[in-house]
Amino acid sequence: MPSGRFNPFETLLLTSRSQADTAGLLLLAWVMASRGPLTEAQRRELTSLASECRHGHDLAPIFTLADRQDFDAIQLAAEVMQKDRGGEQAYPFLRQAIALSVADGEPSISQHHVLRFLADLLGVIPSLFATLYAEQAGRPYAVPEDPSRRDYWLAKEHQRQRDEARQHEQDERRREQEARERQEQELRRQRERREQEARERERQRQENARQERARRERAQQDQERTRQERARQERSNESHNRRWQQQTPPNDARAHRALAVLGLPPGASRGEIRKAYRRMAQTHHPDRFFAEGEARMATASQRFQRIKNAYEYLMRAS
Amino acid sequence: MRDLYQRLGLPHDASDKDIQRAIEACHHSALKADAKVVLGVPEHREAYDALHGTLCDIGLLRARLGLTHGPFWQDSTANDFSLPPDNTGARHDLLIARVERAVGLHDGWRKWRAPWLLAMLLVGATVLGAAAGAALYHYWLA
Repeated sequence: MPSGRFNPFETLLLTSRSQADTAGLLLLAWVMASRGPLTEAQRRELTSLASECRHGHDLAPIFTLADRQDFDAIQLAAEVMQKDRGGEQAYPFLRQAIALSVADGEPSISQHHVLRFLADLLGVIPSLFATLYAEQAGRPYAVPEDPSRRDYWLAKEHQRQRDEARQHEQDERRREQEARERQEQELRRQRERREQEARERERQRQENARQERARRERAQQDQERTRQERARQERSNESHNRRWQQQTPPNDARAHRALAVLGLPPGASRGEIRKAYRRMAQTHHPDRFFAEGEARMATASQRFQRIKNAYEYLMRAS
Repeated sequence: MRDLYQRLGLPHDASDKDIQRAIEACHHSALKADAKVVLGVPEHREAYDALHGTLCDIGLLRARLGLTHGPFWQDSTANDFSLPPDNTGARHDLLIARVERAVGLHDGWRKWRAPWLLAMLLVGATVLGAAAGAALYHYWLA
């Protein structure tokens, strides 16, 4: 004789407007929870999936049940799904389940077994399931590995060592490149200083020559002419100075933009700029995105180039 | 995936010492080598136990839902984690029986014109209470 209170999932099913949807949501949450406790992002994902269902109740009890892996609730949900969603009606549900389990990379072995159970439950034959899996995951379906064998753990250990070695190599390469960049910068700065000095000397020489010439002319010409000459010379000097001044100090708008690229407020000192550049270069270096594919690396190298340009401009200008 | 505990004849919450003893006593060399790596290393055993729990659950689910011979339930996994068919009955039938009982109770209550019955009970209780009060008063003061 059935007696006792209705448990939380039974209550949920009885209040649901669509029992199959409620059961399906619990099974999807179970698929996700069999990798580990549900994260905030996973909850949000399931909530967005649930917005297309007609269940009409709160999702919080489903999350709790899935986190606890409540056996009775899962069995009841499986029975409801088996009854209501057999055959072709199961495809959308299985697609969602596969998409959720491949969202964070390769599904865990538990997730593999849960998916296989769901396929059997809904009467989807292996060849069809493999097709669905390939559509969702973008790679062919592979039978789950067997952690009760020694080879599994040996292969895992081997993989870990190889990853470590690669990481080490990458670090090494990045450090080398940074050292090379620093050296290049040092060289460039020296060259600029030398050029600056040469220009200064040239200007000094011209100035001297002009003064010499003026003195000679002044000696030759009378008082009136001399005064005129001096006035004119002063004017020309002034204009020369003005031109020179326009070149050296940083163009304000452009300097502000360059500072903004490095994430600094206007008027930052050279030391601050250098520090900010080092930090940004480290976070945006393209080698860091090597593992995440061509596209990510390309955008990262663009960002890095922009940061480098800003830094070089500021170093040249200030 | 095999059930190493079952093959070594151990409960799945066996202590490390018991496991070591069982591995030493095992005569099957391949099983012995596997068990040494899987159950002998604590972190490997932890991962294995988590998966073992999931597969036990799935085995029970399959037994109750009649899926012990599905195409995705084969080889060593099916051998080790299948359970004999379970006659605890389907949860859904249980739910329906429970709902039927609740509906029956509700209907019975409505049939007896519940509000009227409630008022009658209230009046009866008041009269009884008054009579008992009067009797007590009479005996104590008399």
